[in-house]
Amino acid sequence: MTAESAEELYEHAPCGYLSAEISGGIVRVNQTFLDWTGYTREQLLGRSFDSLLSVGSRLFFETRFLPILRLEGEIREAALSVRRADDTVLPVLVNSILVRDDAGSPVSVRTAVFDSTKRQDYERDLLLARRASEQSEARVRVLQEASGRFGSSTSEEALAEALVSTMHDAFDARAAAVLLLEGNGDLRLRAGVHPIGMSLPRSDSGPETEALRSGMPVVVTSVDEAERKYPALARAMLDAHLEALTVAPLIQGTTPLGVVVAFFGRQRTFDSGALDLQSALGRQAAQVLQWLRLQDQLRHDAFHDSLTGLANRNLLRTRLGDVVLGARQRKTSVALVFVDLDGFKPINDTLGHAAGDQVLAEISERLREVVRREDTVGRLGGDEFVVLCEDADEATALLIAERIRESIRQPFPGVADGFLVTASIGVAVHSPESSRSMTGEGLLHEADEAMYRSKTEGKDRVTVVAV
Amino acid sequence: MTATAPTADVRRRNNVHVLGAASGSPLVFAHGFGCSQEMWRHVAPAFEADHPVVLFDHVGAGNSDLSAYQRSRYDSLHGYAEDLLQILEQLDLHDVVYVGHSVSAMIGVLAANMDPSRFRALILVCPSPRYIDDDGYSGGFTLPDIESMLDALDANYLGWSAGMAPVIMGVPQRPELGAELTESFCRTEPAIARHFARVTFLSDNRRDLAAVSVPTLVLQSADDAIAPRQVGQYVHEHIPGSTLRVMPTTGHCPNLSDPELVSAEILAYLA
Repeated sequence: MTAESAEELYEHAPCGYLSAEISGGIVRVNQTFLDWTGYTREQLLGRSFDSLLSVGSRLFFETRFLPILRLEGEIREAALSVRRADDTVLPVLVNSILVRDDAGSPVSVRTAVFDSTKRQDYERDLLLARRASEQSEARVRVLQEASGRFGSSTSEEALAEALVSTMHDAFDARAAAVLLLEGNGDLRLRAGVHPIGMSLPRSDSGPETEALRSGMPVVVTSVDEAERKYPALARAMLDAHLEALTVAPLIQGTTPLGVVVAFFGRQRTFDSGALDLQSALGRQAAQVLQWLRLQDQLRHDAFHDSLTGLANRNLLRTRLGDVVLGARQRKTSVALVFVDLDGFKPINDTLGHAAGDQVLAEISERLREVVRREDTVGRLGGDEFVVLCEDADEATALLIAERIRESIRQPFPGVADGFLVTASIGVAVHSPESSRSMTGEGLLHEADEAMYRSKTEGKDRVTVVAV
Repeated sequence: MTATAPTADVRRRNNVHVLGAASGSPLVFAHGFGCSQEMWRHVAPAFEADHPVVLFDHVGAGNSDLSAYQRSRYDSLHGYAEDLLQILEQLDLHDVVYVGHSVSAMIGVLAANMDPSRFRALILVCPSPRYIDDDGYSGGFTLPDIESMLDALDANYLGWSAGMAPVIMGVPQRPELGAELTESFCRTEPAIARHFARVTFLSDNRRDLAAVSVPTLVLQSADDAIAPRQVGQYVHEHIPGSTLRVMPTTGHCPNLSDPELVSAEILAYLA
C-alpha cells in the first residue's frame, strides 16, 4: 500500500474540481469532472464554468449564484445542471469560493462539483408532485374562501365586492371588475375598477359580450392578441398599461347574469385549471346572486300588491304607524287620502276580471303620477286605495286628493270604453295643533269615514276632515 | 387601481438608504432580480463625494418589508415602478440620475414614462425589454428556457438540495454560516423569488421604449448571456436619442465584476 500523491488525490477525488480566473476562464480541472462530463481537458481550459450550464441554470447562475459568490466570498450547495459533451444533462450540487490576493481583491474561483443525479431525479419528482398538490390545494382554498365570502354577502354589491377581492387574491389581478346585466341588456359596473372604460362592454364584439354569449371564460393574453381580436380594446389596454385580461361569465343554469373581468399588467397565460377555477367562481357567484335576488323578490312580494306593485296592507300598516309617530315627534302634519272607486263593479261584471285588472293597474299608474314623490301609494284590496302624505297640511292634502279625483275620472280607451269610473275620496289630516293623540289605525279609520261621507253625498268628490 | 402606500412607510418598506453629498443630481441605484442593493456596493461610493446617493431594495428583496409584498401589486413591473416614484416623492428628489441594473432598467423606463419630470437621466445597465424570442426579435431565450430557470430556482429554494447537501458533501464545520451571510445580503423568500422571476423574465416592455423622453445611456456588457449584445442594441435603437456604450466586460453583473468601469462610464456620461 503506497501513500497517494496529492496529484492523485486531486485528479481522482470523489468530486469534480475546477479552478477559474476571476474573469471566468477555467485554468485547471480534475479528471473526475472530465470523466463525469465527457469533455477533454483541452475543451474546457479557457472556457467559463457557466457556459457549461443548461440555460435555466445559467440564468440562475448569473442572477443569483455569482452575486452571492462575489458579495459573500462563497456559495454552497447550489443546485445546477451541467450540459455534458454529448448534450445530456448532469445535475450537480456546487460549492464555490472566491480566492483573494493579499490586498483583498478577488483573483480566482475554486469550485467543487458533486454528482446529484439520483437525488435530483427524486427531487424533481417531489418538486412536480409538490407543485401539483400546492396548486390544487390553493385552488380548493380559493373556492372554499369564496364560498364563505359569497355566502355571507347580504347584497348584490357586497357579493360583487367579494368576487373582486377573490380575483385579486386568486389570480394576482392588478384590477378586477364585476359587471351585472341590467334589464335592458347593458352591463353595469357593480364593484371593483374597470380601468379600460365603460364604453367597451356595449360593443357587440368585446370579450365581455363573447363570454356572455359562449358561457365560457375569455382570455386575452397580450396586447398583440387583443389587436387581432378586439382592436378597440388593444388601444385602451395600452393607454391603461394593461397587457392581459380575462372575462368569466356569471351563469346561473343557462342564464347569464353578468361577468367578472380581471386585468393584468403583464402578458399572462392561464392553464385549463385556472380557467376552470374562474368558471367555478363565476357559477358560484351567480348562484348566490340568484339567491339574493330571490330573497329580494320574496321580501318585495310580502309587502307589495302583486297586480299593481303598490304597497300592500302589511306595508301600509307599518308605514302608517311609523309616519304618524314621526309626525308627532317632529311636530309636522300628516294626511291620509282614502280612495274608493265608483262604477268599477260594472266593468268587472260586463268586461270580465282581466279588463277589471287592467283598469286597476291603469289607476295605480295614474295615482303614482299625480302624487308627490315622497307620498306612499297603497292598495288595501279590491277597489280601495290609500295615499299616505307626510308633511301635508289640509290645503296640500286637498290639492293631492283633487288631482287624484280628476285623474281617475278620465276614460280608459281600449280597455273599458264607455265606462265612467270616479272616486269617492276621504282625507284625514292630523296637524300638530290637534289635541287628539292619533295612531295610524285611527287615521285610517277617520279617512275611511270621510270617504264614506263622499260616497253617500253623491260620489266623485272629496271630503276633508281635520283630526 | 393600486393602493398607494402611506408615504411614511416608504423608507422602511424599501429599506431606503440616503448617502453622499447634500447637493448635486441625486443618483438612485436599483438592483435586479436575485439580490439586493448590495449589488451596488462597489459602484455607489464613486458618486458620494459629489452627489446624493440613494440605495433601496425592491419589496420582497434584501431587507425590504416582506409584509408589504402584495402579489397583485407586484404581478407586473408597474408596481415596482410606482414604488420607485413613491421613493422619489418621499425624498423629494428631482433631477434624478436613475441607475437600474437588469430588470430594474425596465422598471426605470416605466417610472420615467409615468413621470418624466423627476428624471435627469436613465442609466440602463444590462437591460432587456423581453427575454423570450419573438417574431423578428431575439431576446436570447425560449419559454422552456425560462421554465427551466424557475425549476432551478425551486431546486435551490425549496430546501431539499440545500438540506441534503451537507450529507452528500461531508458536513462542513460551520454549516449555517453561508446561509446566514446569504440571509443578510441576498435574502429572499422562495415564493416571492419565484414570482419576481416570473414577472422579470416573462414581461414584455418593448412597447414602452419608444415613449422614453429622458436622456438615456445603455450600458451593455460585451459578453452577457442574460442580456446579449443584440438586445442592448435593440434597446438603444428604440429609445429615441439614447447612447449605447458596450463595456469590455464578461457576465451580466459588471456592477460586481467591474465596478470601476461602470462608475467611469456613468461619470463620463454625466460630465
